[in-house]
Amino acid sequence: MADIADILASVSGGPSIPQSTLDLQALTRAWVNERTAPELLPYPGELVDRIMQRIATQIEAIEMMNATADPSANFKLVIVQTELERFKFLVRSLLRARIAKIDAYPHHTLAMSQTSPANLSHLESQYLHHHQHLLSSHYHTAFLSSFPQGLRKLDDTAGGISMVDKPDEDTAVFCRILRDAGQVEIQGEQGVGVVELHRGDIWVLRWRDVREGVERGDIELI
Amino acid sequence: MYGEQANKLVTDAKRIQHLPHLPPYASATTQAVTKEVRDLDRENNEILSQYSTSNASQPDPSSSSGTPLKSSFNPASDPATACALMVNHLAMRRNKRCLLAYHRTRTSKLERMIWAGADPFASPSPSSSGSSSLSAEEEQFAHQYGELLAQYKGQWTDVDLTGSLEPPRDVFVDVRVLRDAGEVQTEYGSLNLTKNSQFFVRRGDVEGLIAQGYVQILR
Repeated sequence: MADIADILASVSGGPSIPQSTLDLQALTRAWVNERTAPELLPYPGELVDRIMQRIATQIEAIEMMNATADPSANFKLVIVQTELERFKFLVRSLLRARIAKIDAYPHHTLAMSQTSPANLSHLESQYLHHHQHLLSSHYHTAFLSSFPQGLRKLDDTAGGISMVDKPDEDTAVFCRILRDAGQVEIQGEQGVGVVELHRGDIWVLRWRDVREGVERGDIELI
Repeated sequence: MYGEQANKLVTDAKRIQHLPHLPPYASATTQAVTKEVRDLDRENNEILSQYSTSNASQPDPSSSSGTPLKSSFNPASDPATACALMVNHLAMRRNKRCLLAYHRTRTSKLERMIWAGADPFASPSPSSSGSSSLSAEEEQFAHQYGELLAQYKGQWTDVDLTGSLEPPRDVFVDVRVLRDAGEVQTEYGSLNLTKNSQFFVRRGDVEGLIAQGYVQILR
């Protein structure tokens, strides 16, 4: 892992850092953010596309090295393969974390994807729709079909309880400030306080307060 | 009455969360709860229909036919009946939530099994062989979900979505074979996996065998 100074340096944008290194950092950050945020984050489509392209190139390169069967290349081969496996792991874990959230809050995600379609990739929204269709038809064949008409809905909000589960936006997250991100108001026991977010600071704050900063890239979760 | 049966489903669902396998589907309880909901609904309609018939002189035609909820019932004038209606209504909602929770717990368990590559149709104990612990609807759901997953996974062949979620350390690992698995094809030729033999293989190639318990990683 790069240490904090490297990460901070990369954010201020040194021109000497190659795109591939930046992508790895961005992927790692997207992965950590996705795994720690309580809510589904926007889908990093371009980043994933670039990474997938590199993975494909790397697989080809490994096949080439295998084909030549040069014993001196074996050591290099192991390193390249290890790197490849790690990249694959990052992408896999990122996608699985997203699927887990989509499955946990299907109706909420569905409603959200109507207002901001960029949050889901095309494949994910296909999956979500199909999965919801499967679930609701399962409920219907299992018991809902014999219910009275008024009680058959799956997204009822009547009776004081909403059937739609939502992620807890007030949960606390650990975050590191990458760029000065202004102030956030926090609700404490002694009333409202203001926190000044300076670069390099580490805070435990409510997700609701830092969400915008994370989406802008000013704050990362840890 | 009033959610007693449904409570069984909830405790069952809680139990399922910590079980390695799925216990048999509680079709009798499900039916009893569904019946309770229908009974409660009928009771409510009967109570309300008294009001709409006693006020049959009312000129509004929509209130008397088919839509008992629009009857002239005034909760303030008869709090006892209003309370009965409310309790019935809440009991129905509660039953519905319990049923949904029970079914969702079971389906998510099935989904997890399918993600992990385990066979959800396998019977938990050999003694109960023959009858699956899944209901017919659940079997259908599991099949369809398997197809859905395969479809989604198929778009990400390079990263193998169902692969291990442990961060990889080594490309190659030492494995010991626990059960005869026969010939296995890998990128580097075939392996003949006989019990108690050891191999130094690529982790990705034996991932499935580890999950199924054929081989074990040595550290």
